[in-house]
Amino acid sequence: MTSAPPSHSPLDVEGLTILLEERFRAGLSVLKEAPGLVIRVLDLSLLPVVSRFLFWEAGGSFGGLIVEERLREWTLQYLFLLQNIGWVDVVVRAPLYQKTIPSIVAELHAADWYEREAEDLFDIDFEGHPRLGDFILHDETWQEHIAPMRKAFDANALNFERKPNEKWRPKLVVEDPGSFAMPVGPVYEGGLGEPIHFLLETVGEDVIREVPRLFYNYRAVEKIAEGKAVCDVLLLAERFSAKSAFAHSLAFCQAIENAAGAEVPWRARRLRVVLAELERLRHHAGAIQGICQSTALSVSEAHAAIIEEQLLRASAAFTGHRYLFGLNTPGGLRRDFEETACRDLLRAIDSADSQLRILEERLRYSSSFLDRLEDVGAISPENARDLDLVGPVARASGVSRDLRKACPYATYSEYRFDAPCEQEGDGYARLRVLFAEARESARLVHQAVDSLEPGDSSIPVEATASTVGFGWTEAPIGAAMHGVRLDSEGRVERYRILTPSFRNWLGFHVAVEDFAFQDFPIILATFGLSATECDR
Amino acid sequence: MTALAGGALLVFFIVCAIALVLSTLVSDLAAIILIGWQGGICSILLMLAGAARLSAGADFYQPLWTIHGVGELTLRLDALSAVFLFAAGLVYLSCCLFAPGCMMHSRNSYPAKRYSVLHFALMISVVLILTAGDALTFLISWECMSILTYLLVNHGQERQADPSAGYIMLAMSEAGFLAVVIAFLIAAGGASGLSFSALRESAAHLSGQAEWGVFVLALFGFGVKCGLVPVNFWLPRCYTASPAIFVPVLAGVTLNLGFYGILRMNGDLVPLHGIGPGLFALITGSVTALVGILYATTETDLKTMLAHSSIENAGIIVAGIGAFFAFRSSAIAVPAAIALTAALYHTVNHSLYKTLLFEGAGEIESAVGTRDMDQMGGLIRALPGLSIVFLVGCLAIAAAPPFNGFVSEWLTLQTFLRSALLSAALVKVVFALCGAILALTAALAVTCFVRTYAMSFLGIRRGDWHFSVTGLSRRARASMILLAIACLFLGILPTFAIGVLDRAVEPLAGVSATTALVPPFFTATESNGQLPAAFLQDFHNLGAQTGAHLLAGRGLVLLLRGSEQNPVVFAMSPSYGVAAIALFLLVAYVVVGRLTRRRAAAGGEVWAGGIPRLLPEMTYTATGFSNPVRVVFQAIFRPNIVEDARETVAVHFRTAIHRKREEMHLVDRLFFHPIGAAFGGIARLLAGMHHGVLSGYVSYALVFLLVILFLYRLT
Amino acid sequence: MSFWFWNGVRRGIPSTRYPAVPETASGVTPGRPVATMFASAEEAARAAANCPVGAITARDREAVIDLETCIHCQRCRFGNPSTVHWANDFEWTRWPAAKKGFEPLPASFTRSLHIMVVDAGDCGACLHEIKQLNNPFYNIHRLGMFFTATPRTADVLLVVGPVSENMREPLLKTYDAMPQPKRVVAVGACAISGGVFGRTFASAGGVGMVLPVDLEIPGNPPPPLAILHGLLVVTSRKEVLTEGGTSLI
Repeated sequence: MTSAPPSHSPLDVEGLTILLEERFRAGLSVLKEAPGLVIRVLDLSLLPVVSRFLFWEAGGSFGGLIVEERLREWTLQYLFLLQNIGWVDVVVRAPLYQKTIPSIVAELHAADWYEREAEDLFDIDFEGHPRLGDFILHDETWQEHIAPMRKAFDANALNFERKPNEKWRPKLVVEDPGSFAMPVGPVYEGGLGEPIHFLLETVGEDVIREVPRLFYNYRAVEKIAEGKAVCDVLLLAERFSAKSAFAHSLAFCQAIENAAGAEVPWRARRLRVVLAELERLRHHAGAIQGICQSTALSVSEAHAAIIEEQLLRASAAFTGHRYLFGLNTPGGLRRDFEETACRDLLRAIDSADSQLRILEERLRYSSSFLDRLEDVGAISPENARDLDLVGPVARASGVSRDLRKACPYATYSEYRFDAPCEQEGDGYARLRVLFAEARESARLVHQAVDSLEPGDSSIPVEATASTVGFGWTEAPIGAAMHGVRLDSEGRVERYRILTPSFRNWLGFHVAVEDFAFQDFPIILATFGLSATECDR
Repeated sequence: MTALAGGALLVFFIVCAIALVLSTLVSDLAAIILIGWQGGICSILLMLAGAARLSAGADFYQPLWTIHGVGELTLRLDALSAVFLFAAGLVYLSCCLFAPGCMMHSRNSYPAKRYSVLHFALMISVVLILTAGDALTFLISWECMSILTYLLVNHGQERQADPSAGYIMLAMSEAGFLAVVIAFLIAAGGASGLSFSALRESAAHLSGQAEWGVFVLALFGFGVKCGLVPVNFWLPRCYTASPAIFVPVLAGVTLNLGFYGILRMNGDLVPLHGIGPGLFALITGSVTALVGILYATTETDLKTMLAHSSIENAGIIVAGIGAFFAFRSSAIAVPAAIALTAALYHTVNHSLYKTLLFEGAGEIESAVGTRDMDQMGGLIRALPGLSIVFLVGCLAIAAAPPFNGFVSEWLTLQTFLRSALLSAALVKVVFALCGAILALTAALAVTCFVRTYAMSFLGIRRGDWHFSVTGLSRRARASMILLAIACLFLGILPTFAIGVLDRAVEPLAGVSATTALVPPFFTATESNGQLPAAFLQDFHNLGAQTGAHLLAGRGLVLLLRGSEQNPVVFAMSPSYGVAAIALFLLVAYVVVGRLTRRRAAAGGEVWAGGIPRLLPEMTYTATGFSNPVRVVFQAIFRPNIVEDARETVAVHFRTAIHRKREEMHLVDRLFFHPIGAAFGGIARLLAGMHHGVLSGYVSYALVFLLVILFLYRLT
Repeated sequence: MSFWFWNGVRRGIPSTRYPAVPETASGVTPGRPVATMFASAEEAARAAANCPVGAITARDREAVIDLETCIHCQRCRFGNPSTVHWANDFEWTRWPAAKKGFEPLPASFTRSLHIMVVDAGDCGACLHEIKQLNNPFYNIHRLGMFFTATPRTADVLLVVGPVSENMREPLLKTYDAMPQPKRVVAVGACAISGGVFGRTFASAGGVGMVLPVDLEIPGNPPPPLAILHGLLVVTSRKEVLTEGGTSLI
């Protein structure tokens, strides 16, 4: 598809509704539902065309696909985020016996992995998708057609018959006579790397094609959440990806608060900003440490590691836990913080901030270090838009998208901060974005602490029966969305997690191809993605 | 001794002729047996003749018959011929053991009778070339040899993928032959007859330009056979296309004829004055070696790779010969002797290990069905015996001690260092550069053969082949073991080999190589003119007398003496080295065994990061291994990569990426394609003359007449 | 041009001196809940009911903690009337309940230990804490401990995560590839009992379901010093803290 800029100036709700009704007439029905728009697609064959319209012509971003099996029918929700309008939900309903849905992957490459995930977990066939199968449930471990997310499948049934494919071989793409595929992982780097299996297809030096195989850490969080109480699912939301634990638990709590229609007290919102930015700062220090480690510049790696450890200790001193577990609760925070504790935290953050600035300055003048990052692993702005990447990776390629600015939550709309953006899209651009965001996080924490007023740190929120809630945050890696449906007893019926790593891993191979395989660990480090966040 | 040599030679001719006649009469199976037995006897007779001549002092001379008005056809077996004769005999012995085994294995696809006839005819012509005493015999047998090799190369034509390879070889051979004939004609300009002795006398009266003319024509004329750049265009293609039973003969015998020709013409008949020709040969040799090994390192077809490696070794030998010419024309005799010794040693060594490797490649091809190294792997488990013998060949050609390649390459590089004795600075620079190129070649050779052995024998089986047979017959294996043992002996007893080669070196270089290189540590007890007492005593204390009671001869140390300030220029002893290595390995084995007595080694599958199975497509291929060489020398290779991707939906979903690498060989690119294009252009131009218009043809006559009249007016 | 060597020297040495000297800096450990005596049995029962994973049991007026099940959610610490006391230590290593004791590695490994790590479904916190052992604060190199790249040269295997189904085979292969003598340490609540993920079709419910475990380090995640303590126990430089013959609860 073309990557031309959207052909319409940012639309508002009325404009979009009029355009849709003009184009698609009887095939759709459009409803205005807070927070945005719901488009119900009645004619399934229109689905790809509508997706193309929303993504390319209206300039929207694809949030993800939510599949539900309820009330004897499938509900597929394709989420889009449009400027000025907010969330646009394209809903498709189909009876359960219909297992084929037209694939939108030809129009919207970013939907590739969502459809593969749905095929693996729900056994829905997306007609026209060129590469279904062997995604989450690896073919050498699981047999076909298990569909664990179906209602009929019992998560605790442990002794179902396993018949994996013994003769499974990876499908190689390159057909050069002397080519071979170098395997990396799932246990690599001495096990200190997250389990991912990479196959680097090469004829010797340059990687011609790279295929990452994820989901070694698949623990079926969405499945085991079903039927649990909200406070138990909160534990899951926090602990499926620890490096963005606060961001994900915040998104989940906002989803529950959205479902219950609760108003979180201002003090809690501001404290949430403090903690979210603390997590972002610590995460970025860790990512910078990873980049320095991959280029084997030991002293800078040690400096970055010192900064990260100092932030971890400051987190533990402030909240009692190094990774900020156990803080969020629907309705606010589980505990309050005193003034002196906040000042101590500010001192720690200032120290980290100044050390990061010094480190950035030193790295800027290390030409051997920059040699390994500049022009290496570049993603062009067109590719970043085409694959709809998010977070610092996308911002380094010129796609400036930040949920804190596009759909402000907590008290972000009160504060002044930048979402730094670069154009080159190479490793050095991503590093610069990380440093810049760390500076902005420090700035935000100052503004948040300075704006703290005495008040409640939480209000009690009852899990209301039969409601649906949707919450989002800008996690350190990018945009994270959580959707929750509560059943008639207030327990979780369906829990959907849309993570930024899932979106960015899709674009990883674009950065790696046509570079030498010595650059591969460096490109991996500059992306700073989390496999366990993607795997859930 | 001379009589023995002569007698053996004549008996050889008789037996060979009988075998030739018998081959036409008997059946296929009997022809195979004939090759094995008669061929074996003939080879042994050749070795006997060569050895006998090398131990005696006088040449064997036998006039054959006289052709009226032209000259007398004679045979002369001198020391230089004897060396090549012995090497040819040994190689033929091995081939005669190998060929029957191979042919029995795939009997139906070779018409054995025809092969047998041609084989014996070729044997006769090769020996005639080596023992020719005059130019006529030489040239006639050379032409016969060219034609016979062409017929043998085209032998299994129905199975060949490249039918024009033999034809190209024939064309190049004829071009080379033409050059050689002209060289002989120039050399015989003022001679009384065509015998070699007459040519030697008249050579003293040749002018400088005539000498250069003879030299260049002989170098490139004979260079066709040995594979010098730029006339080696035919060699890789032809070696690849030849049947597996004949390639060992091509590489082990006919290649050496080129060196023999160069040495005979420029070393013996028309000695060179002036250092220019020597340097020219040196540079040609070095460049040939580099080009050969570059293409060998990046080639995945086993036979083609070995062919390129033959080009590399030919380059090294010719570089040694060039150094010999340079030193001799500067009247520095000792380095000249060492250079010639090195060149002759390398010739013999190359015949041995290259034949071994080609025989091994033939066995691999018949067992596995493919020659592509990217498809092999894991052969060490299927063909364990062959893997040991092939390893010996690879180590020898990569110049690893204790095998023979090490000694000759070491000697060659050492003679280059002796260029310090030459006076002109430019000459020293040329020597230094060529030395550097040869050192690079040696390093690349190691890479090439590590790759060959590792990718073919070690690792996981990569292709879909199954083993059809468990190797060839015992006799075929015996032929390879014979060569491997010869490689080992020539590697650990170099002082004896140099003593034998000295018979050929001394007449040509003027001094004895043995005297220069092998000090008589075993036999000398007190100082003589060359070895002062103190020096002798030092080396005796170092153990240079070890083994004096076990072995005859002068000693086991190769050593070149220098001046007072620098008493030892270089020294080495592979014999003691081998003993030291063996001792060290034994000690290490015992010590490590004792230290790790209480440890148990547990085996398991390869650690591959936790994937279910390490698949063959996940292991390095030969192409991948040599990719760095391809990348570094990209300017020479200039490849053209054609990439074609199959995709569905979008670039993101590519399902297949098809890449093909198209390369034109450097020699083709720089020499033959421009020349061919030029000739084609001229031919097109001339073809324009045939336009078919009558008036045009009439005008040609008019123009021609005018030109004649004009010229007549001028003169 | 940055003078990295000079910058490094100027930064100084922030390494802890543990195990020679106890480490008490703030933030090195989240601490752990300890057995608390309440005024009445109802309060103890309330404290026990607060725990979402059932790590607290009320015995009369005492609330007793099972540290292996604790997931550090801190609900017993803040925000409810019956709070449990928390201790600020980190030496939590113990052997599995099914075993009688722990046999450390032979003496030659005391100052030369090679560690292999496998992430078998971890959330990232335990793995990240293990990685922190290499940072200048903890610096396990000074104790002669190293992370290896391959299990062939490893002495101790640290496993994190509840062993997701897709990682079961790679984990077993890693274990098989290690030579004897070897020890397996389960790090974190998920590795010990499955944590919040439990035992389902996609997760085995702890490393003990897949491999023979020699030591356990509770925590969610255990701080780097706790993991370091575990490694010191493996090399017999530290002991498991026991009380009355059983490892400390």
